[in-house]
Amino acid sequence: MSGHDSKYFSTTKKGEIPELKDELNSQYKDKKKDAVKKVIAAMTVGKDVSSLFTDVVNCMQTDNLELKKLVYLYLINYAKSQPDLAILAVNTFVKDSQDPNPLIRALAVRTMGCIRVDKITEYLCDPLQRCLKDDDPYVRKTAAICVAKLYDINAELVEDRGFLETLKDLISDSNPMVVANAVAALAEIQENSSRTIFEITSHTLFKLLAALNECTEWGQVFILDALSKYKASDARDAENIVERVTPRLQHANCAVVLSAVKVILQQMELITSTDVVRNLCKKMAPPLVTLLSAEPEIQYVALRNINLIVQRRPTILAHEIKVFFCKYNDPIYVKMEKLEIMIKLASDRNIDQVLLEFKEYATEVDVDFVRKAVRAIGRCAIKLERAAERCISVLLELIKIKVNYVVQEAIIVIKDIFRRYPNTYESIIATLCESLDTLDEPEAKASMIWIIGEYAERIDNADELLESFLETFPEEPAQVQLQLLTATVKLFLKKPTEGPQQMIQVVLNNATQETDNPDLRDRAYIYWRLLSTDPEAAKDVVLAEKPVISDDSNQLDPSLLDELLANIATLASVYHKPPDAFVSRVKPAVQRPEDEEEFPDGLDAGPSELSATETEINASPARGPSNVPHVPTKAVPTAAAPPPAPVPDLLGDLIGLDNALVPVDQPTVGSGPPLPVLLASSAGQGLQINGQLIRRDGQIFYSFKFENNSLTPLDGFMIQFNKNSFGLAAGGALQVPPLQPGSSANTLLPMVLFQNISPGPANTLLQVAVKNNQQPVWYFNDNVPFEVFFTEDGRMERATFLETWKSLPDSHEIVRDLPNSFISNMDATLEKLAGANLFFIAKRPLRDTNQEVIYFSAKLPRNIPILVEITVLVGRPGVKCAIKTPNPDMGPLFFEALEALLK
Amino acid sequence: MISQFFVLSQRGDNIVFRDYRGEVPKGSAEIFFRNVKFWKSDDGEEAPPVFNVDGVNYLHVKVAGLLFVATTRINVSPALVLELLQRIARVIKDYLGILNEDSLRKNFVLVYELLDEVIDFGYPQNTSTEVLKSFIFNEPIVVDAGRGPSLSPAAMFMQGSKRMPGTAVTKSVVANEPGGRKREEVFVDVIEKISVTFSSSGYILTSEIDGTIQMKSYLSGNPEIRLALNEDLSIGRSGHSSYDYSSSSGAGMVILDDCNFHESVRLDNFDLDRTLTLVPPDGEFPVMNYRMTQEFKPPFRVNALIEEAGSLKAEVMLKVRADFSSSITANTVALQMPLPKYTTRVSFDLEPGAVGQTTDFKEGNKMLEWGLRKIVGGSEHTLRAKLTFSQETNMNITKESGPVSMTFTIPMYSASRLQVRYLQIVKKSRTYNPYRWVRYVTQANSYVIRI
Repeated sequence: MSGHDSKYFSTTKKGEIPELKDELNSQYKDKKKDAVKKVIAAMTVGKDVSSLFTDVVNCMQTDNLELKKLVYLYLINYAKSQPDLAILAVNTFVKDSQDPNPLIRALAVRTMGCIRVDKITEYLCDPLQRCLKDDDPYVRKTAAICVAKLYDINAELVEDRGFLETLKDLISDSNPMVVANAVAALAEIQENSSRTIFEITSHTLFKLLAALNECTEWGQVFILDALSKYKASDARDAENIVERVTPRLQHANCAVVLSAVKVILQQMELITSTDVVRNLCKKMAPPLVTLLSAEPEIQYVALRNINLIVQRRPTILAHEIKVFFCKYNDPIYVKMEKLEIMIKLASDRNIDQVLLEFKEYATEVDVDFVRKAVRAIGRCAIKLERAAERCISVLLELIKIKVNYVVQEAIIVIKDIFRRYPNTYESIIATLCESLDTLDEPEAKASMIWIIGEYAERIDNADELLESFLETFPEEPAQVQLQLLTATVKLFLKKPTEGPQQMIQVVLNNATQETDNPDLRDRAYIYWRLLSTDPEAAKDVVLAEKPVISDDSNQLDPSLLDELLANIATLASVYHKPPDAFVSRVKPAVQRPEDEEEFPDGLDAGPSELSATETEINASPARGPSNVPHVPTKAVPTAAAPPPAPVPDLLGDLIGLDNALVPVDQPTVGSGPPLPVLLASSAGQGLQINGQLIRRDGQIFYSFKFENNSLTPLDGFMIQFNKNSFGLAAGGALQVPPLQPGSSANTLLPMVLFQNISPGPANTLLQVAVKNNQQPVWYFNDNVPFEVFFTEDGRMERATFLETWKSLPDSHEIVRDLPNSFISNMDATLEKLAGANLFFIAKRPLRDTNQEVIYFSAKLPRNIPILVEITVLVGRPGVKCAIKTPNPDMGPLFFEALEALLK
Repeated sequence: MISQFFVLSQRGDNIVFRDYRGEVPKGSAEIFFRNVKFWKSDDGEEAPPVFNVDGVNYLHVKVAGLLFVATTRINVSPALVLELLQRIARVIKDYLGILNEDSLRKNFVLVYELLDEVIDFGYPQNTSTEVLKSFIFNEPIVVDAGRGPSLSPAAMFMQGSKRMPGTAVTKSVVANEPGGRKREEVFVDVIEKISVTFSSSGYILTSEIDGTIQMKSYLSGNPEIRLALNEDLSIGRSGHSSYDYSSSSGAGMVILDDCNFHESVRLDNFDLDRTLTLVPPDGEFPVMNYRMTQEFKPPFRVNALIEEAGSLKAEVMLKVRADFSSSITANTVALQMPLPKYTTRVSFDLEPGAVGQTTDFKEGNKMLEWGLRKIVGGSEHTLRAKLTFSQETNMNITKESGPVSMTFTIPMYSASRLQVRYLQIVKKSRTYNPYRWVRYVTQANSYVIRI
């Protein structure tokens, strides 16, 4: 042969097709062959060479196998688009299927089976019938697979022509490869049929076991997988099978080993002799461990399977924990799985060694791995009572290194340890409190607050600590707010002094009035009611004994575990999901709906789909004791069950405060939504300031309400803003008239941007100072709602949107899950978002799900575009959002804003 | 079974694409590549080898910088698919001599022909190069070696040791030599990858050897071969516990935890005299894989020290000692040590007269790197480095740096002491005396020194 195949890929000149046509019809064989190669080359790079169909098919009648194969390759590709022409090939196929050369006979049936054209299929039956009974095993094994192909195209035809019976006969074939392929074909046909077609009897069992030793490694897997569906009649039958299968554990092919393990595990359920079972476990351990010497990809599959196996039979690998220690060059997906298994195998005997490892991992570079290692320590503490103290001391050592995410993760697990072993390890609280200011993750904050509330009586300055969190109450995520509410109530019940009293007031006020989170509001009302009617009952409820928690690292639901164990060595055992959760067999490629075509694949396979997958796949492994309830919320409703009628001022009676809380039922402001409180009158010596940044007519304003609850008139109001990320500053003077006691005034303060910009990463903190002639200067913090920056000219044309999306580098793309956001009514939401200058571009359904993908655009001042892609299931919580913008620093702020808008 | 098979380049270009069932939508290669590239989850940012997007399962392995991918819609055996992908890579390498984007593109017709024999309707049929030879008619077009990373671990023989014919490993098993005649030769490579973790006080915490006896035969007529291993080789630890070394660290016995064999290997005499009998198929294949956790002498001892030296300063000292015979030389040795995050500058101080050593400080991941082109057995090398910090250390700096990891290759060294006593070609003719190469190499897999 001359030259390189790659020359066929050389650039296309005009008239390439006619040129090829000439060459295909050349009388010289070499030239013909070269031409067909060129055609195939063009085909593989996606060029349309279907117009050469007749010319290529004409080359089919040749005794040159190399050329024939090339033509067949072409046919498989184009027969579907040229069914009428494909019929031209039928005669040659039929002739080839009777060729003296077995390779050509096999090639003919193999190729015919791949051409999914009815007219060809009809002609396939006779050759197939012959080939199933061919003298040559290569032809028979090819024909066996061909029956499965035909069944996929036309199941009826297969049954009518009796191919199933012939296929079953092949199980008794003398050639093990034929047996294996027949088994594979039958298994697939059975999978797609509701009737019983293929069932292993004691007779076929014998044949299969005999073929098992002889056939190729792949054939062994087919046979083992078929065997795993066989139900042994009794323990002896099972033992017999196991005995024949056990030598497969020595196979170098990991697939054979895992499929053999599957069969053995299944039959073990029937075996009654404990000696036999113990012996089998012993035999399975070394091969399972050896799987971890394979390529990392296979290690991953092995580890996911081992994870299931040790849940059912922990003894198999109880002594092998060392092989699961992470190597520094393991890929992260292998390390994570090894950690899971180490936790499962940790025992009083090996815990010291395991802890040493975890401690080492906790100082590595990869943040995700480090976090998981810290959690692992906590999970061991909960699992092994006798080791808990050692685990805690390791955690404390880690906290002392003061790496922020290590500290936060440690606090989360320590909270669970406190739950598990109450009144045992409180001495370490002081150490934990040192890290209080560094907590910025909701779960860590919530955990710390829970600890403070739970042990308020032992922490001298518990009130101060909680108060420091209270300052930012309105901005905290719901998780933290709920904990703060409960912790404050606990504190008050344990230390009913003046400080906690005031705190309770602030919290209840915030939680009932300033929030639209029903969980928070309802809990606040229940506490309020409890506290005001029967403080003792409140104690019983809030300070109730908590149920003991346990380690959930072994907790796959038993029935799920059974199902997964039956599916060892399949994808289900990797995903830890039952097969019907991800198998959706569809007939050949369904055309996508029209409107999707408008969006190029580039966007289609965008980041939101990615995160959809990852949550789907990773949702299954237990995520640690975070599932443990952090607060005894469950106990509350039963004891509390308050009458629904509003009970204003009861708390006032109880605590005896003058400026009682305003019950939510009374509207606070005449019209529009009430403004959030920035300065409570209790903190402002009677001056209450409510306010919020808003956008109106293309300008940003600070909308304020000043309320004088003090006994003296107040005047001479002035305002000042600290440096902030957006350089927000007053664009004019604050217009507030002198306020008489008991009066209030509303005002709009125009704001300007880019004045005093604070350096560092962008955040929404806005520090405000207000003074008047009578009082000291009041300082308070507000959160800038990011959507006020969205300009009115943010609407983009579809084309511009696509262009912009593509032009931005992928590094400028940020993806975030917003689990608490949801869209209940699409139109209303679109309207609401448009009101916030977040403009709708397009929408399309996400394939194979009920989800929808919606595209928006927005623009920030100075012409910074933000392109938004939202994936959502209408009516369900959980929104996935991906954005692209030249200024990705703004991403987190955008998500925060979107979360607020989609509540 | 599998629906599609494709090979993507590192940039995501489609090099080979074959659809066996037409049940997965067209853009699958694109979807796959995007997911792999932008993977992000709680468990890190590297896509696992098996994942599901919109009902399509994607399974992939990385070989020689290429992505070998299969898709399926049904609940297949992932181990089977991943093994198959590895095996396809190996078969292609056997045929093409070298596996890279260039060789695949130049030989696409041959590759498609191979794929049609290897997989039918998504079912793996045969992956033995030997068997495939009777069904494959295209001839490979051999590309220049050394253009890309090679597939085989045996490629490591190409560096350093001149005694071996380096080209052999990239020679196609089917292509003829320029002279038209094949050279009669057979290669047996004992390749060991060792993993050792040292505690900060120098104790060995874990140690493990993953070994393979790899064979590549270019013998005509496929004669039978007898391969004899250490006579006192023992398999299976009786103590059955990783903590129990007392029984194994004794005399000269080599005790393997577990091993498995290629299907061509006959073990008739194995129990008796530790010989393996086989008729080697063409192509490269592992005769035997083995695993050992018996204590062995680690080839390198490393001392690592980091100490504060005044405010905003610290000193690192790394010392490597080669604990093997001076007739053996390790090559491409590299040590890496993560330094505290606030390290801004590092100045290095090599020992006087150091040759072939390189040092570097990677700003991005704060990594100290020390490379030694070679280390002769018995020698010792030291590196000193002065660090400058941007902030006061708040804690013990040893906690914020390390562990030291090390990579190396030691030709003609077997950490397990497993040996091929002899390689006998059972063929009547006395004049038949083909070249027989038995080579050993030990490589670091995970060689970690905690500090």
